[in-house]
Amino acid sequence: MTDARALDPAQAALGAALPRRRARPRRRARQLAANAGWYAVLTAVALITVFPFLWMLLTSLKGPADPIASVPPQLIPGHPTLNNYQRVLQSLPVLQFFQNSIVVSVCVTGLNALVSTLAAYPLAKMRFRGREAVFYLLLATLIVPAQLTYIPSFVLAVNVFHYYDSLPAVIFPSLASAFNIFLMRQAFRGVPNDLLDAARVDGAGEWRIWWQILVPIVRPSIAAVAIFTFVTSWNDFLWPSLMLHDRTQMTLPVGLAALQSQFSSDFRSIAAGVTMTVVPILLFFIVVQRWFVRGLAGALKG
Amino acid sequence: MTTRFHATPWLFLAPSVALIGVFVVYPILAVVYYSFTDYDIVRPPVWIGLDNFIKVFGDETFWLALTHSFIYLIVTPIIIALSVALAIVVNRKLRGIQIYRALYFVPAVSGSIAIGLSWRWLFDRNGFINGILQTLGVIKEPIQWLAEPGLVLPIAMLLTIWAGIGYYSVIFLAGLQNIPEELYDAARIDGANDLQKHWHVSLPGLRPQIVFVAVISSLAALKVFDEIYVLTGRTGGILDSGVTMVFYLWRQAFQLHHAGYAAAIAIVLLAITLVFSIVNVRLLERGQGDA
Repeated sequence: MTDARALDPAQAALGAALPRRRARPRRRARQLAANAGWYAVLTAVALITVFPFLWMLLTSLKGPADPIASVPPQLIPGHPTLNNYQRVLQSLPVLQFFQNSIVVSVCVTGLNALVSTLAAYPLAKMRFRGREAVFYLLLATLIVPAQLTYIPSFVLAVNVFHYYDSLPAVIFPSLASAFNIFLMRQAFRGVPNDLLDAARVDGAGEWRIWWQILVPIVRPSIAAVAIFTFVTSWNDFLWPSLMLHDRTQMTLPVGLAALQSQFSSDFRSIAAGVTMTVVPILLFFIVVQRWFVRGLAGALKG
Repeated sequence: MTTRFHATPWLFLAPSVALIGVFVVYPILAVVYYSFTDYDIVRPPVWIGLDNFIKVFGDETFWLALTHSFIYLIVTPIIIALSVALAIVVNRKLRGIQIYRALYFVPAVSGSIAIGLSWRWLFDRNGFINGILQTLGVIKEPIQWLAEPGLVLPIAMLLTIWAGIGYYSVIFLAGLQNIPEELYDAARIDGANDLQKHWHVSLPGLRPQIVFVAVISSLAALKVFDEIYVLTGRTGGILDSGVTMVFYLWRQAFQLHHAGYAAAIAIVLLAITLVFSIVNVRLLERGQGDA
């Protein structure tokens, strides 16, 4: 998107020279009033969206002298402190949780994007016996809720792969996703065949075509798939909670659930734990959101 | 299109096919087998025929869970209505709109456990909601929101809606930006006001996205777990008032170690999901025909 102001005559008028503003004072006032109305709506929705997190942040900063339950509720801590954070960090290996989450999410994201991008090429651009069969098999797995597979996957983890209670147990089952394969297939289908044929005439093999022609063209889609996979993996809870029980192996959501049982009624500490886990993923998302929204829009258009 | 490839396509497909085979296809086949057995994950399964299914259909908690999961589907139309409205609002070219769009996305990336804990705290007996209501004089005594059997499910649904709107409105925003401006101009010339313009141009234009969101949000609603787990402190709520299909599956399989019985529940859930998906695919095809 270009700069929004450049597209909107009303905003452009606001920024224009004084004489022009005087030329249509009434219209400008009406526009301002209308915009003020929209800003009120936008801000109200934003408050509802962000308030639970804001409340957590404020609670996490409250000292022992600040009431956590009072009428009216105390919004700003009277005696702000970081002790709650210290207490959480002392009793739970939160930094280890972070490290585990990063290892899992980075492995899952990188390998899943690679595996999906590989599989999408023949499904989008090659003709071979069995293509339809693979395609419909993948389509079918998309419908099945992952939770249905957890009982056999649990047995596999314990008896066959022997990775129960270790990070590979949450990495391996997430390495392929039919959804990502479909998104990448859509992206590849948008690449003109002439381009591939020209490369073949020049003697390029399929692997080189994939790596040197297709992958660079669909980079925005890969970015969207990667961001989406990263956030999903980062927040994944049910399967990791079945697999990871040792504190040194927990990912953040699993650790947060452990935090809840440990500090059951110590809301200041729970709030500190939640704030610590939410802030990094928010920062990450703020940095990557441009690519995500663009890639999402592109993927859904196709 | 090129023809006459032999090994190459399969080499590209091999990692995905192997992984999906081991972690999706095999488990589905195994779950079908387990559903006909008495199995506790530790000892080998013992074939018992249809006993699990007979037991499932006579199990009151199962019916309760099924009912709750269907009630949960109400979130889908509400999410669609609210996120379409929000998308229309944030599609305005206002200064600073990007910041608002990013703020609305916060719940979508924060993770269900963090969100669930923050909501649990809001709705606690000593929480903010009670504090505000008491300050305003609406209630005299604090309410035990999450200990009221009738309130657990509505609060979880409210959480799902709240967390979903920002995410789904991004999808609708992408759809809105694909609608040609001329259609709005034509509507304006025909004398349509703002509301009529969106009713007659935006809604039909968003049809593919609406169908897509209907599919993914209703499938998500059918398998809700995390919200219930956190809000009820892994109990499922008083009198099982928050127990959903997947929660019940989890409890039977991993709390009570009735893996065979849980597998039968899984098969029923799979059947429901399949019927649901067939209906959804029909809708999708119809949507494509129109567009």
